[in-house]
Amino acid sequence: MGSIENLVTQIQGLSGSIDDIAHLHNILKVADESLHAEPSALSSVLDQVDPAKHSLGYLYFLEAFTSGPVSKEQALTLIPILARFINCCDAQQIRFAPDKFVSVCKRFKDHVLLIESPLRGVSPMRAAVRKLQTTSEHLTTLHPDFLLLCLLSKSYNIGLSVLEDDIFDVDQPRDLFLYCYYGGMICIGQKRFRKALELLHNVVTAPMNAINAIAVEAYKKYILVSLIHYGQFSTSLPKYASSAAQRNLKNFCQPYIELATTYSSGKIAEFKIYVDTNREKYDNDKNLGLVKQVVSSMYKHNIQRLTQTYLTLSLQDIANTVQLGSPKEAEMHVLQMIQDGEIFATINQKDGMVRFLEDPEQYKTCQMIEHIDSSIQRIMTLSRKLNAMDELMSYDPLYLSKVRTCFEILRQVTVVSEGFVSSGWEGATEIRL
Amino acid sequence: MASSSSGLTFKLHPLVILNISDHYTRVKSQLHPPPSAHHCAPAAADPFAPPAPAAADPPRVYGCVIGVQRGRTVEIFNSFELLYDPATHSLDRAFLDKKQELYKKVFPNFYVLGWYSTGSDAEESDMHIHKALMDINESPVYVLLNPSINHAQKDLPVTIYESELHVIDGIPQLIFVRASYTIETVEAERISVDHVAHLKPSDGGTAATQLAAHLTGIHSAIKMLNSRVRVLHHYLLAMQKGEIPCENSLLRQVSSLLRRLPAIESGKFQDDFLMEYNDTLLITYLAMLTNCSSTMNELIDKFNTAYDRHSRRGGRTPFV
Repeated sequence: MGSIENLVTQIQGLSGSIDDIAHLHNILKVADESLHAEPSALSSVLDQVDPAKHSLGYLYFLEAFTSGPVSKEQALTLIPILARFINCCDAQQIRFAPDKFVSVCKRFKDHVLLIESPLRGVSPMRAAVRKLQTTSEHLTTLHPDFLLLCLLSKSYNIGLSVLEDDIFDVDQPRDLFLYCYYGGMICIGQKRFRKALELLHNVVTAPMNAINAIAVEAYKKYILVSLIHYGQFSTSLPKYASSAAQRNLKNFCQPYIELATTYSSGKIAEFKIYVDTNREKYDNDKNLGLVKQVVSSMYKHNIQRLTQTYLTLSLQDIANTVQLGSPKEAEMHVLQMIQDGEIFATINQKDGMVRFLEDPEQYKTCQMIEHIDSSIQRIMTLSRKLNAMDELMSYDPLYLSKVRTCFEILRQVTVVSEGFVSSGWEGATEIRL
Repeated sequence: MASSSSGLTFKLHPLVILNISDHYTRVKSQLHPPPSAHHCAPAAADPFAPPAPAAADPPRVYGCVIGVQRGRTVEIFNSFELLYDPATHSLDRAFLDKKQELYKKVFPNFYVLGWYSTGSDAEESDMHIHKALMDINESPVYVLLNPSINHAQKDLPVTIYESELHVIDGIPQLIFVRASYTIETVEAERISVDHVAHLKPSDGGTAATQLAAHLTGIHSAIKMLNSRVRVLHHYLLAMQKGEIPCENSLLRQVSSLLRRLPAIESGKFQDDFLMEYNDTLLITYLAMLTNCSSTMNELIDKFNTAYDRHSRRGGRTPFV
């Protein structure tokens, strides 16, 4: 008990400058064992230490306090304490002991899930993510947990705001899998299919030694989203995907690949039959909602294909070609597509004719200037990063050694060939480099 | 130097200035061969470029200026070189006469109006040459080009002197007095002078350097405009605060200038302008994309060389 009192006074004393905190950190590391030995004794101590000013000390106490299994009631009392700590802790102090912070936050997430109200955890987790990140391009271990809470509480918007940041730094590469998978699901929820495709693509093509369950699930969703967004899907993975993925992914996702081939035939009736027969499998993977969206997207893609062949078309003809029930349905579909900005057309209700137009974008508005300007800014930052990476690569000793050996070989060959040439050998002209 | 009181207006054509500077640069580079090849080439093309480092005194070159005098206006059109004989401190007279004859055949209107030289200031020995020329033209002009580059100076380093009879210490003497002049150009002259001014040395053939030179020119022009506008703005602010007495004539000039902008203000202009602006932005964007792709390509090549294992197909170093 006395040692804990000592610790409290030390924490209160040494929470001033950076050097003090580093010193404090060392003391706490040493005292960690003794803290873990008596977790229950720490509840009274927690009141004496201020989470905002003495974050590091509070963190250690909290971590020792919350270790071990908890029941639902205990979780209920713990959650406000944890939430308060996360919201008001000092980011600088926290970064001295990131793994402790991560474990505290993970426990927080578990408690929140235990009492089945994930919404309570969303805001504190977001604060935790921001505090742990050194820059906004940093992917921490807490990101996937945060996204999981967003998904479970259906607060997709908050998740999206974190997804908007580009990632350049990763703590632990394996976080990337879950982050991209959950991120893809959030984007699907918000109907941002292009971004979802990007994220899911990252999961599928990430380097992996052996096939990964996350990658399999991601591949299934990837197929479906690609059908919804592009209307087509190519089964060949790009060259940079890992060999494990290229060989094994298809075996696990057989029903979905067949779905894609049926889709590409363009016949809606057949497609619907196929979906109904395999309904259970999709339901088990919880992808049935997505599959239904694929069905409705088929109509859209067929209508879009029509814009490339015809200038004007009657609603009746559209209904026939796309295999819709009646011209009324066709009109509804076309209207919806015009509103979403997927096609450009005008409907003449008197004749029942639809006239397809060109993209009316003239590129002469100020908004377009701002849009292009922001794209240029983004690409400038990207270019700077690429140049920095390129330079870093040039200093890499591995690279330099390989380049040097190549250069040596080249030099040797040149010397040898010169020797041949100068000795007047007739065959020398053919090997001139 | 006092200023001229003869009341003559002088008009100088840029060809004269180019000729003088060309003559000077040639003589100088022949006397002091430059240490590296590309030192003399830019100096030859650009009249006001810094000269190659000279060990000795810069040489003086001499020549004759010709032109037309109509009434009170003296217009100097052209010039040619003359040899200076340091022994007799005079110019080669025979050559001058012959040249004058030749020029008369082509340009019957042109007369020898005076002579030119280079240097920082008019000297006493110059009066000698001046008097020698006085039998061709009763009142010759003396055009002096200062070849030393002074970056602080904004005007042309060319001065025109006339000779006047002044009574100094009881003795009537001819002294040089400064005369003001304006630069006069014909359209054709402006085009050629522009072309010469932008002439770049031998490797100006590549499109990249030409584009860079063109853009640099535009950039410096805009910079100069910006600084001038800022000066005006500062001045007007000071006037507003009352630090400087209000000068109505200047205010009138500023107001008329402002009323001349904007030149065009219509819907169609706005449309076209924005479209062109967007096009340029798109091209910049495309250029950046290409640049990034090429950097990315190099990076990946380096990565592959460094971390390549025996299996090149579809394999990266796994991190899970």
